[in-house]
Amino acid sequence: MQKQIKAQIDRIVSSGAIYADARWYPVEEEDYLSMWNGNLKSASAARESGIGVRVLYKGAWGFSASSDVNNLAGIFDKAYENARTAAERVTFPVRLAEKDALQAKFSSPNQIDPFTIAYDEKVAFLKQMDDLLNQPGVFQRVASLNFMRKQIIYIDSEGSEIEKNIIEVFPSIAVMGVDEDGETHERTFRPPRLGETRGWETIDKELFAGESERIVRELNQVLKAEPCPKDDRSVILLPGIMFLQTHETIGHALELDRILGYELAFAGGSFVTLEDFGSLRYGSEKLTARADATAVNSPGSFGYDDDGVPAQDNLLIDRGILVGAITGRQMVEEANATARKQIFRGSSGANRATSFYRVPIERMTNINIDPGNDGTLEDIIKDTEKGIVLDGDKSWSIGSNREQFHFATEIGWLVEDGEVTNVVKNSTYKGDTLKFYNALSAVGDESTWELKYVDNCGKGQPNQIMQLGHGIPVCRFDNVRIGE
Amino acid sequence: MDERIIERLTELRQFAIEKGLVAEFFFHEEESALMRFANSAISLNTSEHLLRLEITVHEDNRRASFSLITNLDALEDMKDGVLQAGEILKHTQPLSYTPTIPVYQETFIEETAFDSDLAGISNAEKLDYFNRAVTGLESDQIKLGGIFSSGKNVVAAMNTNSGHALAFVTSDAQITIVLSHKTLKWEVIAEQSAQKKTDLYPMPLQRQLAYLLDHYQNAPAEQIPLGRYDIVFGPAAIAELVNTMNWIGFNGGMMKRGFSFLQEEDLGIQVLGSQFSLMDDPTHIETFPFSVDLMGVERKPFPLFEQGVFKAFTWDQDSADEFDAQPTGHDVMHKSLVVCAGNKPINSLEALVNAPRENDVLYIPYIHYMNFVNPSQGLITGSSRFGALLLKQDGRVVVPYNVRLTQSLKDIFGEKILWISDGQVAYNVSASYGARNPTALIVPNLVYVKDLEISHANSSY
Repeated sequence: MQKQIKAQIDRIVSSGAIYADARWYPVEEEDYLSMWNGNLKSASAARESGIGVRVLYKGAWGFSASSDVNNLAGIFDKAYENARTAAERVTFPVRLAEKDALQAKFSSPNQIDPFTIAYDEKVAFLKQMDDLLNQPGVFQRVASLNFMRKQIIYIDSEGSEIEKNIIEVFPSIAVMGVDEDGETHERTFRPPRLGETRGWETIDKELFAGESERIVRELNQVLKAEPCPKDDRSVILLPGIMFLQTHETIGHALELDRILGYELAFAGGSFVTLEDFGSLRYGSEKLTARADATAVNSPGSFGYDDDGVPAQDNLLIDRGILVGAITGRQMVEEANATARKQIFRGSSGANRATSFYRVPIERMTNINIDPGNDGTLEDIIKDTEKGIVLDGDKSWSIGSNREQFHFATEIGWLVEDGEVTNVVKNSTYKGDTLKFYNALSAVGDESTWELKYVDNCGKGQPNQIMQLGHGIPVCRFDNVRIGE
Repeated sequence: MDERIIERLTELRQFAIEKGLVAEFFFHEEESALMRFANSAISLNTSEHLLRLEITVHEDNRRASFSLITNLDALEDMKDGVLQAGEILKHTQPLSYTPTIPVYQETFIEETAFDSDLAGISNAEKLDYFNRAVTGLESDQIKLGGIFSSGKNVVAAMNTNSGHALAFVTSDAQITIVLSHKTLKWEVIAEQSAQKKTDLYPMPLQRQLAYLLDHYQNAPAEQIPLGRYDIVFGPAAIAELVNTMNWIGFNGGMMKRGFSFLQEEDLGIQVLGSQFSLMDDPTHIETFPFSVDLMGVERKPFPLFEQGVFKAFTWDQDSADEFDAQPTGHDVMHKSLVVCAGNKPINSLEALVNAPRENDVLYIPYIHYMNFVNPSQGLITGSSRFGALLLKQDGRVVVPYNVRLTQSLKDIFGEKILWISDGQVAYNVSASYGARNPTALIVPNLVYVKDLEISHANSSY
């Protein structure tokens, strides 16, 4: 098959295309099991294979994909035809940043392939979780397991040939209850990534047992709690909500295609401009953020992106100053040319597609916040006069240029004079992105840092769902509006 | 429709029977194309041909499924999928209810919503449409973006209960045209939904865009004070808001699971405003309707709200089985929601701007990134975007920086509705996550709601 793909790439390039690449997925598999109130509502598996082809002609992209690889020439021809049409309306001819031609392989580190585990064992895990969650106050309980396994063969006209074999495991549990006003509340647990691998061995039954007890206890506290007050307070974000804050207002805001306006018609843009790199004070000096695709145990690490560029660890925000972006080969060339200076030295290796039938676009890798020097969570709480500790993502809505946001969380704990007082329900907070990050007043140490996974990040047209990660410490922000 | 789809379903059915399996088969074939524009160029031009097969097998009250992306020649792969589903079934646990498997009494193939001209529209025709829709509007500062998404969609189902099949073939196009300012970070938008090629008219979009551009380029822009405003919602905002009720409103299964602002005791009660009526009406071909659901039930106009009175929950078969309710013909990939027209003869932004007004009026055509803050309260939040205007009481028009609205659906569609346009439009809400599923609502052109709170206002574009 690789020979046939290479022959087609050669044919297309020899007929006038500047560049061509193909991502052949011999197999991509997914298992999904979900138990809801003791009912195994979903016991499903999926398998797909196919090929996606990109062709660059006179500075314009064409793409074609099919699950039927028997007509390989037809797929390449369609991509070429699409590129020729696109070439009729070009304003900035696509150029690709330099890269090395690589012959490489990447396999995600796993001890136990989850697809080798018997269904009986998977169902037994869900049943065990369901039994643990079936407690007073719990109205709905959900336990889910999601496994992915994909093989990707990447070949391009510059001589690269890369094979990737990636396995991911996404377990979660959740409980819901109804308060005396008839309102539903929820607590969830998605485990942080621990250890050096990402296979079935990462599902720690003891950890889940302990966490199931915690989320049931906290749900019952929320059910009896008073509503979150409308107030201006310091908000202390645990990793269970800080990961999403980071995702939405640092990660998406720093995708270079958004900054350059390529998502304006749908997902939105970014308040960041090319002139901001190197000078914009994004946050306080306590804020250092990076795109680290080398963290071994995260779905945001994939060896090589879908441009064939190796994974990297790059600073995005250095002690509050904006210094980097999430980039692929095309966008860095356009950005540098538009800015008439070299902002980016090359692709940061973040161009990815969710499947063979979608085109690669800039996606987050692991967008992490470095641990700080403000101690443990307890230390930060002790140092807070009037605040609220927040955890659990319930709702998120972000301005179209990522300039402002509104989040609702599953639980809040009020803090008065350095001590946690009581739990509140319907906790929310909102703010303006730059003002918020510049009000970052404490960043927890290593003990507060967790690597959280995201298995459903949506972006692009046609839409794509991507898996990635966020390594996040506890963070405190001052003078934030809550309760609206 | 490719006749081989029914042939494959029949072969798979026979195979399952031979293997002693009770099975359901669901084919989804899409031929999708998307021409995407950004920075006044075609930034992407895609074609995808995908065939999905979902196999669900049952034994009493146990169930398992296997799905694959395949091609029609790969019968052995499909048969292997049947065996895989059967293997998973052995390891499942009994449900607390027994899922109903339909018995199709006759083969039903619906192709009335398919137009081969639209499904086969060429690259050149799409580019010409865009060029005409933005004639004279682009400049060094004003850049074109948007999409022309079009395709053919085939859905077909069969099971081991009978040799009959259901099949639905549709064609669709969703056009979004955005003109954005290169440095000021504002955008205006015009959209069109098409079921057939003759639905495509670029010139109305050109006029809408020209009108909005004139205001955005010449009217003053400002951060508006927080507080309560009369708000007029455009079709996109109305459709998005109503569409949320699919999840946190009238869906019986979601209600039973605690994720709805409607409860059983609300049935027959005035829940929303007396001017608000909503139905699921599969007689509207612009909604890419299912006239028969996937359980084989004929679908008829289904009132959800009549003059604000809540009439019924919708129940898909599985939720009905689980919660001992009666299914309502809603085993469909999407409903055909229709918000009834009102009696106000104001049907365009231009007419709204020119109409006399007693208060400042905030026009919000589009709500960006809406989410459910509290489903039990019907509380949503989202930001304005794409061409909002503040129409001052004294006749002036101001461009507001984006604002945030955090409000209950009960307030938005409650007694605060002052008027609803007497004209309607099909608004396309298709998402391209996963399988193609062309979806549109019929909504009034404008809905005027008094006294809603703006809780956040940007200080710049």
